[in-house]
Amino acid sequence: MLDCSLTKARRDFAIDVEFSVGSSRLGLFGPSGSGKSTLLSCLAGLEIPDSGYIRWNGQSWFPPPLPLHRRSLGYLTQRERLFPHLSVAENVLFALNAAARRQQEAWVQEIQSRLGLEALWDRAPRELSGGQTRRVAMARALCRKPELVLLDEPFAGLDRPLVRELTAVIKLWQEELGFTLLAVDHDPVVLEALCPDVIAIEKGQVIQRGSWQELATRPVSPTLRGLLDKI
Amino acid sequence: MAAAVLLYPLWGLVAPVGPWRWHGSHIAPALATSFGLTGLALVLVVLVGTPLAWSLRAAPEPWRSVFEAIVLLSVLMPPLALGLLLILAFGPGTPLGESLLRFGVPTSNSAAAFIATQVYACFGYYLLAATAAFEGVPPELEQSGALLGLTASAVFRRITLPLARLGLATAASVAWVRALGEFGAIMVTSYYPHGMPVQLWVNLQDQGLPAVLPLLVVFLLSALPLPWAFHFFSRKRRRA
Repeated sequence: MLDCSLTKARRDFAIDVEFSVGSSRLGLFGPSGSGKSTLLSCLAGLEIPDSGYIRWNGQSWFPPPLPLHRRSLGYLTQRERLFPHLSVAENVLFALNAAARRQQEAWVQEIQSRLGLEALWDRAPRELSGGQTRRVAMARALCRKPELVLLDEPFAGLDRPLVRELTAVIKLWQEELGFTLLAVDHDPVVLEALCPDVIAIEKGQVIQRGSWQELATRPVSPTLRGLLDKI
Repeated sequence: MAAAVLLYPLWGLVAPVGPWRWHGSHIAPALATSFGLTGLALVLVVLVGTPLAWSLRAAPEPWRSVFEAIVLLSVLMPPLALGLLLILAFGPGTPLGESLLRFGVPTSNSAAAFIATQVYACFGYYLLAATAAFEGVPPELEQSGALLGLTASAVFRRITLPLARLGLATAASVAWVRALGEFGAIMVTSYYPHGMPVQLWVNLQDQGLPAVLPLLVVFLLSALPLPWAFHFFSRKRRRA
């Protein structure tokens, strides 16, 4: 269970949000620059909130800020880069030690086959296309079975069939493994398919929470309505 | 054309200076002194300079700029001036020199003085190049490592160091060349034991060019393979 209530000042407004989410999938939707990515950065530990708290299953992540490596999370963005000095296999298995690699052999095989990485396994990152790089980054983030997965538009710029495929895989794994998933996205295909529960954020404030269907049909603010119309 | 210009001074090796005098050129002891003591100096420089360069990358301003200015000062120092300053600060007769002598560390004409002078001569070069190497490592990759559960030391070992290794190798080879060829400062602080550059000077003074050229050939053939190897290795890795 993720419990958070935090504030974070930005140049033009302050983020001030409070929400909880259990072992399910929660979407974060809102206009660009509304503070969604900053919120995920705070949860990941890349940015420090000004005040409030972040608790994960009763463990305090803030305050004081828990070091990044002690947060069991997977964080995926559209700017994800692979370790250029390692092969695809070494990237994917990066977070697993030798014992974990032996124990997780079946899981690694599932990752390989579901994400279509078999043919890429021994390649270098520079030999991959953009879509392949995202697949490997996703495999790397999920390989150690994190308890919390943060997605910051990881599918932006990918073609629609690939987005549907990757979204379906993440949804399946979330249901199987039971991790908590928070997804920031502008793409209704992603949010509708992935998140039964969506929070709408505007200028750092939570203005609506409900299913994607509710949000899409009955937005509570003109800005949100305008954003949905554009989609 | 540029290569020809750079190589032209080597034409001097076939200059008509008479038969080369291999015997009595003191090649072996000079080689042993230069390579042994420069090797030790380089180990010290790498051991201290690598973590320092790494921490310098994240140092806050204005401290970082102040420190870099100090490093540049040591790099810009003319070698002879560096030697004079070192002997005036550490030499016999100075409080520090006397104290070190009481602990059995003579601060002139000794292996310790030789190594210390080389460290002073090449440390700045290594530090500047190593800092540049670490700055070339994208911080987001180190962040990814931490988000994947790696401690700071594991991130350094598994991400930062491998990605910076070619730059660090270049830094080490620059420091090696700089220290091995050091003459002006070593002349002042550690005339004895004779390293290669000082032995070249002594041979020139005592026996003339026929005793210098054999030593010079051995010096070039023995000193260059290491930086060449670093250079070609790094180019190969960049192309790969």
